[in-house]
Amino acid sequence: MLAASLSLKIRMADEPSATSNATGVIELPKLRVASNTSSRITRRHFLQSSALAIGALNFAPAGVLGAPGSPGANARFVVAHIGVGGMGMTHLANMLRFQKEDKVRIAAVCDADDNRLEAAVENAGPGVVPYRDYRYILERKDIDAVLIATPDHWHAVQTVHACQTGKHVYVEKPASVTVRDGQAMVSAARANKVAVQVGAQARTAKGAWYTCRAIRNGIVGKVSRVTCWHYANPVDEKPVPDSPPPDGLDWDLWLGPLPWRPHNPRYQPANFRWFLESGGGQIRDRGAHQFSTVLWCMDADRQTSFTVEATGKPPGKGLWDCPVEMKVVYQFRNPDWTLEWAQPGDKVGQTEFGNVFWGANGHLVLEWEGGYKPANPEAINFKLPPGGQEVYRTDEYEDFNMNHKADWFKSIREGHMRPAVDIEIGHRTATLCNLGNLSYILGRKLVWDGDQQAVIGDEQANRLLSKPQRYPYVL
Amino acid sequence: MKRDFRGGAFLAAAGVAAASPVQGAEANASVDEWIKCLKSTDQGVNTAACQSAPEVGAAAVKPLAGLLADSDFELARRAKRAFYRIVRHAGRPGAAAEALAVETELVALLAGGPVQPRRDLLWMLSEIGTGRAVAPVAVLLMDNELREDARCALTRMPSPEAAGALKTAFARVPEDFKYALAESLRIRGQEVEGYPSRKLVPSAQTTVKPIVPKNN
Repeated sequence: MLAASLSLKIRMADEPSATSNATGVIELPKLRVASNTSSRITRRHFLQSSALAIGALNFAPAGVLGAPGSPGANARFVVAHIGVGGMGMTHLANMLRFQKEDKVRIAAVCDADDNRLEAAVENAGPGVVPYRDYRYILERKDIDAVLIATPDHWHAVQTVHACQTGKHVYVEKPASVTVRDGQAMVSAARANKVAVQVGAQARTAKGAWYTCRAIRNGIVGKVSRVTCWHYANPVDEKPVPDSPPPDGLDWDLWLGPLPWRPHNPRYQPANFRWFLESGGGQIRDRGAHQFSTVLWCMDADRQTSFTVEATGKPPGKGLWDCPVEMKVVYQFRNPDWTLEWAQPGDKVGQTEFGNVFWGANGHLVLEWEGGYKPANPEAINFKLPPGGQEVYRTDEYEDFNMNHKADWFKSIREGHMRPAVDIEIGHRTATLCNLGNLSYILGRKLVWDGDQQAVIGDEQANRLLSKPQRYPYVL
Repeated sequence: MKRDFRGGAFLAAAGVAAASPVQGAEANASVDEWIKCLKSTDQGVNTAACQSAPEVGAAAVKPLAGLLADSDFELARRAKRAFYRIVRHAGRPGAAAEALAVETELVALLAGGPVQPRRDLLWMLSEIGTGRAVAPVAVLLMDNELREDARCALTRMPSPEAAGALKTAFARVPEDFKYALAESLRIRGQEVEGYPSRKLVPSAQTTVKPIVPKNN
């Protein structure tokens, strides 16, 4: 009952602001459910039949399933929530449903803002312990896994710390705000043999799945170009001076790894999105969804080298610094294809953002990122050709937010620790976003060597691949 | 009359070839004119001026620094953006002389002034600072308000002098700051005895109480 009512009144950080009402409260979108369930492939089968399996099997600890200290096939996961604002409340609603199904027990909630924390405690119910500092959660040996939905500048630090204390992690997208943070997250997950799922949940949604299998199997022929359109970043039309933080907000903890500065109401709660150092704007917020889906459809998770060139129009006023309008062009080689991000760009579909796959025999549109919106009917009706390539799909829940978490739990139970958007995939997606922004702020084209994880011939750009963090909020 | 700062028009109007050093009285006039436009209340004018900051380059650093703490907070923000545009343009490959000129101006500003702008200057130096900037930055490791930003700047600067400065400072800084410096030294590949990381030590306490189960 609680979960049901909560699901109708939570804020959705992932939703476009246009769909919010005056109080910022919106309804969860209704999901379209497709009936085609043929030609399914399990995650385990997918991993065994893909190149990723090589790494997965090498890293999977022996006897994880049911091993001491690891959840068995029927065990309940004990979970904690770090960050219970917008998207964090969606996660809490999902976990309440899992709890009702006796699959998890929610042990703790955490937030730097006591006002949000109080609301979360109320929703989570009796016995759930509130914390301001997430490190109390990491000290608890009884907690198996954490869900992180803090501002983006916290993702890497909290994920790395959780991995180092043996917790499995579900972390919101974008995975990281710098390339080096992303690398550290991957290393921490592997070194500690835990599953880190990044919340780019379209890869466990039907819309993206239909599109992925259609594109990979030639519905429009060889794709040479993918364009993403998205509405612009907002401008702070009513700038305000710095002021003391509101009661209940621990400003130092909210800033965490960021350099210290006075509080300004334009930073939070959700406005961190419009700062390059934190949210990174639409290209890192929604782009992390769209690029994740595009890379999946293009089977390009391992195509890690590219050039990137960005241009943009900065805001003329206010504290936010993300470009209002922006165009970013990524050029991949072997195979050759181009990815273009444009805000606003050329709107091809009916919705406020989406993607177009331009092939030799036509084009296919995918509105949004393939999660909240259904696939194009041509993709849904696409028949897999004989010998065609199937792609991973999981259908445990109709709600893809639930599905994505179920996929995470499954990767832990099965012991391979490679969920659908494993941290390595999330890091590669975030790298696209981060380098797009980096090209914009530097005002020049960058040549990215994915093998070396470095920008070729640009020392300043390489320095900006990391950002030293304020002590003690360090990786 | 609105000035058009796009495409090098500003310097061209001042009779100076874009991307060439601006010198003497002509340079001062150009910078003064540019600052005037940056201060303009006309958003079109001040935005264009901000965007054209790289054309003015190192000559704009000192006057811009004076605006970083301006009581008009929107002007202060615009100045900071212009500042970063200069730093990022100067740091491009093949522009070592420009980068050095900007670095020199930035270093000269570290010695005094309001705290928050100097924090910004340290972060700018973290992007383009060379061994020449290390000593003036390292001095600030002893400044209670600026030491953390100075530490971050030195951690990011790749020169061996930066690592050396962190090591030297380690023996001199107050005990409570040694943990942070030890972190930097480890990042730079140096071994440090003691001072284990405090990154996992919780501290902040909430006043929010859990809901007690009814049967308790």
